[in-house]
Amino acid sequence: MGGYILGRILQMIPVLFIVSLIVFAIMRILPGDPAMLMLQGAEGGVITPERLDALREKMGLNDPIIVQYFNFLTGALVGDLGESIRFREPVLDMILDRLAPTMQLAFAGLVCSLIIGVPLGMIAAMRRGGWVDAFTMSFSYLGASTPVFFLGLVLISVFAFTLGMLPSAGSTGWRSLVMPALTLGLINAGLIARLMRSSLLDVLGQDYMRTGRAKGLPPRLLMARHGIKNAMIPVVTILGLQFGNMLAGTVVTETVFSRPGIGRMIVSSILQKDYPLIQGAVLFLSVTYVTANLIVDILYAWLDPRIRYDR
Amino acid sequence: MRPRTLTARGGMLLAVSAVALVAASPAFAQELRLAVRASIEPANLDYQVDPYTSTMLINTFMSDPLVIRAPDSSFVPGLATSWEISDDAKEFTLSLREGISFQDGTPFNADAVVYNFNRIMDPETGSALLANQVGPLESVEALDDMTVKFTYSEPWVTFLDMATKAPIWSPTAAAASTPQEFDKELIGTGPFKLVEWVANDHILMESWDDYKNANAAVELDGKAAVDTVRIQFIAEEGVHGSVVASGESDIAYQIPALSTDQYTDNPDAELLSIGQSGTGLQMIFNLREPKLQDIRLRQALLHARDMGKVNDILYDGLYGEADGPLNNIHPCFWEGASEMYPFDPEKAKALLEEAGWVEGEGALRVAKGVEGVPDGERLELGWSILHHPEIGEVVQAQFLDVGVGISVEKVPGPIQLERVNARDFEIMYERLRSPDPKILDDIWNSQYDYPGGWAWTGYVNEDLNTLLKEVAGNPNWDARCEAAKSAQQHIMENALVLPTLSQPSYFAVSGKVDGFKLGAEGTHFFIHDVSIN
Repeated sequence: MGGYILGRILQMIPVLFIVSLIVFAIMRILPGDPAMLMLQGAEGGVITPERLDALREKMGLNDPIIVQYFNFLTGALVGDLGESIRFREPVLDMILDRLAPTMQLAFAGLVCSLIIGVPLGMIAAMRRGGWVDAFTMSFSYLGASTPVFFLGLVLISVFAFTLGMLPSAGSTGWRSLVMPALTLGLINAGLIARLMRSSLLDVLGQDYMRTGRAKGLPPRLLMARHGIKNAMIPVVTILGLQFGNMLAGTVVTETVFSRPGIGRMIVSSILQKDYPLIQGAVLFLSVTYVTANLIVDILYAWLDPRIRYDR
Repeated sequence: MRPRTLTARGGMLLAVSAVALVAASPAFAQELRLAVRASIEPANLDYQVDPYTSTMLINTFMSDPLVIRAPDSSFVPGLATSWEISDDAKEFTLSLREGISFQDGTPFNADAVVYNFNRIMDPETGSALLANQVGPLESVEALDDMTVKFTYSEPWVTFLDMATKAPIWSPTAAAASTPQEFDKELIGTGPFKLVEWVANDHILMESWDDYKNANAAVELDGKAAVDTVRIQFIAEEGVHGSVVASGESDIAYQIPALSTDQYTDNPDAELLSIGQSGTGLQMIFNLREPKLQDIRLRQALLHARDMGKVNDILYDGLYGEADGPLNNIHPCFWEGASEMYPFDPEKAKALLEEAGWVEGEGALRVAKGVEGVPDGERLELGWSILHHPEIGEVVQAQFLDVGVGISVEKVPGPIQLERVNARDFEIMYERLRSPDPKILDDIWNSQYDYPGGWAWTGYVNEDLNTLLKEVAGNPNWDARCEAAKSAQQHIMENALVLPTLSQPSYFAVSGKVDGFKLGAEGTHFFIHDVSIN
């Protein structure tokens, strides 16, 4: 198991290196001078070339591109992701400030999708061909095809503006988390329900289930001990990817519900060409994503020993 | 059975109990909930560092400036009670208000003003805009404890306007922190103290018990009427436009025009609007482009657009008029601009024919003997705009009627600046907002035609530059305004700009709010007198 984990960790290194290279290159290829943006972002007053040049020098933009990348990479290795151009604060501090609300939202969304998706999938499998099954499948298609922003606005319109039950914006208190988590959760619950259904149907047809029934195991015990655990393997596998989807989904969800978080920070930093902030945030999210998948792989190996023996 | 009724004695008992309950309970804390667009949330909460008008606005809640721009646009006392300006507009002597202290208990005096202006001009502070607005300051000195003198190397006619913007912070508090950290612990002289700023979420302030009114534009003496102010930043436009109607906020600042219909006949809320003096949403021509070098083409474009119709179609006529380089509500607007280019498609067609743009096989005209343009080239122009692309789309249809094609492109800020700095555009959006005509100098004086400058059109004319020098340097307001009007006439006669509309600021205000006062411009308002019923 230890060797398996070590191998997976080593595989992360080239992935993260390529991510850093791509992010760095894309931000330099896109048009727009960040120093100019910083000075000309407001209205009024003329910016002198001397002032512009001084700022470019201060921001390290006059250095050769290789030097800029090297500075970024060596800094990142020791946790120094630079300083935001616009906010003038250490990037890592800014990310950590916004990490809690983003993770809170992503986890809440994940939990919502599991709470909704797993039981729906199970019920659909056990009532195969019935109206519950049809409803679940329709729900999963609806969930997969509904844009996050649209669902968010519908929820706001109903629960905030019409019923006045929940706040439409902000991150104060648990009530402010309900709609964003539901938005993320509902979108992904459909996929989990479909996966759970097909997986459970597959498990239900396995020999060991038939043997269990023949031995007289109570149906509930059989389902709980042998059915669900085995059916959960593909669901767990997909959780890592789903967590990535959740993180991506927070970009839109945080904007719709005006919540603070890394997603919103990335969007505004892209618009402002805040190089260090974009690079740092994307690198950080990549590490998070890759780590989540590593954890899933480990869980997977634990659930299904064949994985670690077959490597 | 006899129905139970409330007897006189019982009623009396209930009433007395209710009064006693109300009297015994502590007073309800009043919170003013203010909704602000997330796109204008400050990056640094200190306007001495951050360049945005929203930062300046929020700072005025926590620190009174030296001078206040009153709702009627006049300058009234703030922390300075009076001021003297030398004839050459190079020296400004301010008498300061006595008995004022900062929220940390340290006294407000001339030394504090000197410290603040030195801090603004210090490169370490990294002031992105205010240092530019302070201008070529030679020195700032304390003549005595309550008198301060500013000396400039050249006439600085926008000094008072600048003095309405510069926040004055406690020197003790500012010196104990860095410009990057101080914005989380701002200490001013204003009616509200900063409690917390959760970036991308909200700002919370509480009223300061020891506040002494240093703002001649507000009425309440001493402590503000509300106990706390919560500024909620809202990222989604539709949500921002509806939060007052749904009762989630008391005031929503700068809601989208398309959300205003929720408030027009709403008995529980009020819709306020105020124009923003400046250039309006103007489009400028790049005269370096061969097609646009011929004045007849530019004049034709001006005759081919009907902005009244655009306003009706898109905004139910709610947007303001902008007929010239300064919009119609600007104090120095030149009225002749309104008559110069009436909507006249026939005249536009005639001008185009005259300029060598003849009818082609398709809907667009083609060049025939146009200097610098190959014969047969179609008359198509790029229309690049940061926002409001819908204006371009309606104008596109109007231009098509006279055989001119435009491709409307909404560009993000970085792309716009890149194009502008490379002078790679044909018709570009360029807006500045200020009641001071100095913005004309910024945009039209060819001495600012370099990367970082605002003079983008490539038009060079010494007569115009002379007028603009007068606009930027004459200490006499009337003379400046007259020069600004002459400059606008020159710009319009040469058809250098395509004015469109002017975007007003809309405020949705709950019916529970009393004492809310708009400033002179759409970017400013006063909350010191506000109470919540």
